[in-house]
Amino acid sequence: MFEVLEKCLESKVASLADLVQIRGQRRFMSVCSVQNGFVEEFSNITLSGVGVRALVDKMSWGFSSTNTCDETNALKTLETAVKLAKASVKSKTQKIELEPIRGVVTDISARVRKPPSEASSEEIAQIPFQAYKGAKEAGPDIVNATASYIGIQDEKFFASSEGARIRQASTRVLLMVNAVARKTDVICPASETAGHTGGLELFDERQPYDIGKYVGLKAINLLSAKAPPSGKFRSVIQPNLCATLLHEAIGHPLEADLAMAGGGFGKQIGALASSKLITIYDDGSVPSGLGYFPYDDEGVKCERTVLIENGVLRSFMHDRTSAAATGVSPTGNSHAWDYSVEPLIRQTNIGIEPGDYKLEEMIEDISEGLLIEGTFGGQADSNADFTFGFQSARWIRKGETAELLRGANLAGNAIQVFKTIDAVSDKAVLRPGACGKYQFAVQGRIVPAIRCEITVGGTGG
Amino acid sequence: MKKSKPSLDERWESLSDAADKAISNVIKRGATHAEAFLTDTQATEVFIRNSEIFAENVTSDAGVGFRVAVDGEKVGFACTNLVDEKAIVESAYRALSIARASTAIPHFSLPTASKIPKVPGLYDKRFEAIDASDVVDVARRAVEAAEDYDPRVIAKTGIVSYQIGKRQVINSLGVDAEEKFTKSFIYLGGAGEDANEVTPSCDDYELKRSADINPEVVGENVAKMVVAQFKPRKIESFEGTAVFEPAAVAYQLFDALVGALRGDAVATRRSAWANKIGEVVVSENLEISDDGVLKGGFGSQCFDDEGHPSQTTEITRKGKLLRFLHNATSANALAMVNTGNASRDVAAGGLDMTRSIIGGGYRSKPGIYPSNLTIRLGNKTQSELTSEVEKGVLVEAMSGFVQVGSGLISAQLSRAHLIENGEVRHPIRGGMVSGIAFDWFMKVSGVGRETKQSRYCIVPSLRIEGVKVLGG
Repeated sequence: MFEVLEKCLESKVASLADLVQIRGQRRFMSVCSVQNGFVEEFSNITLSGVGVRALVDKMSWGFSSTNTCDETNALKTLETAVKLAKASVKSKTQKIELEPIRGVVTDISARVRKPPSEASSEEIAQIPFQAYKGAKEAGPDIVNATASYIGIQDEKFFASSEGARIRQASTRVLLMVNAVARKTDVICPASETAGHTGGLELFDERQPYDIGKYVGLKAINLLSAKAPPSGKFRSVIQPNLCATLLHEAIGHPLEADLAMAGGGFGKQIGALASSKLITIYDDGSVPSGLGYFPYDDEGVKCERTVLIENGVLRSFMHDRTSAAATGVSPTGNSHAWDYSVEPLIRQTNIGIEPGDYKLEEMIEDISEGLLIEGTFGGQADSNADFTFGFQSARWIRKGETAELLRGANLAGNAIQVFKTIDAVSDKAVLRPGACGKYQFAVQGRIVPAIRCEITVGGTGG
Repeated sequence: MKKSKPSLDERWESLSDAADKAISNVIKRGATHAEAFLTDTQATEVFIRNSEIFAENVTSDAGVGFRVAVDGEKVGFACTNLVDEKAIVESAYRALSIARASTAIPHFSLPTASKIPKVPGLYDKRFEAIDASDVVDVARRAVEAAEDYDPRVIAKTGIVSYQIGKRQVINSLGVDAEEKFTKSFIYLGGAGEDANEVTPSCDDYELKRSADINPEVVGENVAKMVVAQFKPRKIESFEGTAVFEPAAVAYQLFDALVGALRGDAVATRRSAWANKIGEVVVSENLEISDDGVLKGGFGSQCFDDEGHPSQTTEITRKGKLLRFLHNATSANALAMVNTGNASRDVAAGGLDMTRSIIGGGYRSKPGIYPSNLTIRLGNKTQSELTSEVEKGVLVEAMSGFVQVGSGLISAQLSRAHLIENGEVRHPIRGGMVSGIAFDWFMKVSGVGRETKQSRYCIVPSLRIEGVKVLGG
């Protein structure tokens, strides 16, 4: 692959640009979904392609991609990228003075103990099948159970006119389990996702069957639960929900592109932005996180970036362009889901530093409130206004957990919510996550439980 | 609109021939059925950020996905975007090999050859000559229209996209359907800044099959929405009437409907309407259909993503549920008629991450999704819908998900106004609405007479009684 990329960089058209970044990629994905006992989907996806980005006149980027990786097509794609950049130079008002970076030459493979490629199709099929079985065997009220295994093997090649030649290989494995319990007209869904950068060793500690059983039991228990109330409650947010809150409502406004567009954190580095108990960071170098990347898609090394320290805003997440615009160094947050799309500022593995509370201590200080867990996804805007679904909750009364409640949505402004945090648990959990900011991405979240005030939009009393 | 580009035809012909050959090969090797789905698309997209043209992308993608069945119902899927014959044939063999390791999908079925309708307005030849600079121009006009309307308005984000392509389905039961398509799309999001006040983001969009998108209209609509959002006030909680504008109906309410109507959800009892054919499920004034053959409809196509002819499907009449949406397998499982709703769109995977990871089109096997889910227009003007409301909210946009299955909606009012004694009073800061979508569909007291084309539906405003509104 590097040979084709080199030819592009040596071409005449490359010399018309200030900077050329070329990304080649080979991706193989294996998917196996078991629904209600049969293999509903068993797929192999083989993809390859080249994406080219060109900076022209220090004003304008152009991007083009193709799935045809031969020299002729790659060159044509470079030409298109340069042409696109030139086409919009006149409309740009701001110079892009990139901080020069060292052109790294390296070859890195993420650690994989049990490569999925060494497992037979039958062995792969057993992973979702066992998870399905666990969910189904949770009880007769499970009317639908689906388990999906995905293995992603990536080989990425980055070459730039600054001299970078970076090959990165990685394997990611995910298992998603959904169960629906039903009694007459009451329908209760539940779900769980496991995933990491690595191989099938993901299931050494937590077997697919156990994940399935956990999801099935949760759905069944919710059948007899009441609808949650509506209103503002002092609540303990479990890590599996805190992960969504952190990513959607705090993480996105800390991405420099959204912040520069008028995000909720403003541009006030050094200002108090959250509870003093909160330290938030993004770290692409966490090896098993789904957002593990040694280098980003501009060739910048991914390291730990402290974003909020003891409540004080320290940094945003940057690509090279946003870093140049604000006079700071890039933070390794420029990522593209695949070769076909342009990199943009993304979180990698975002985390909250653990505090010093035990979960029980967080609960026992609440006279009336909620213990909320599980996510059905969510969304937030750059002002940090968020809405997202939780799977279940429990009343907390007089410092003790009480009856189970079904899921609903939470809403509010995350910056305001994070200012109300008065306890952080002492254990952070690495969770898998996904993001759909203009393009898809898998990411990691390293989160403890938090205690805060939050608005619940339930239908119960 | 100038400078002609090389046609898609050369690459297409070799892709199509190789797929045809691959199907013959796997049948010779013992497959019971085989199907190839091919696409070749080129997209020119321009992104807007903070009043400026932020990025310009041209992407080209082609590939083929094979579904191969052995022993009737054991199915494997494999796809590739390596478009040489060897890779394509190998991909089909891979699907065959996976099928052998798989278990049976009960009632698995592929369509047989049927007459494909000709749907006008799905391809606009002018796209062949559209250049990136044309797309930049459209984006710029949208930004100008928004910002010239009122100096407080800032075009924050946006995209203009022109897509041209071909799709084809070939199967071993004689289906061989092919069509060209064009799609254009503009989305603009803006906000207002005045003194210390920043409005919530407001957006508008337009989706067309022709090149005639109207950036000025979209830009001005965004600006009008932004201007109306200054000086919002908090409200107290109450139960009252909600008038949902088309953009709000097209999101959460649409999702609830789709979850109830998908044939696969019905077959697996995940649908809230699973056993309700013939029963009243919505208000009498809510006539729902799916129109896959609508002239120039954004979701229209001559055949669905497994080659079955597209059609118009009546879903409710006088409030009674008549039928669900099906592909070949779900229709076979429930002994119902295939409605031509096989879809390889990412959205057909629902909230499941799997489809988002692998991608749509040739990269995935078909699920079920509406083409243009349509709610028949009512007779109420927008002002009539609100003037008859004692206390309620006018909802332009909400954020938050519906819990598909149960129909639970608890959504933040991202853009809404308070209505009191028939008058739209002021924008609302914060606040949520909550309820069960399927209960709401039974309490529709008014249907608007203006409609909007969204990605998968064409819907008017709906006025719904008994909605719980939670103050901010």
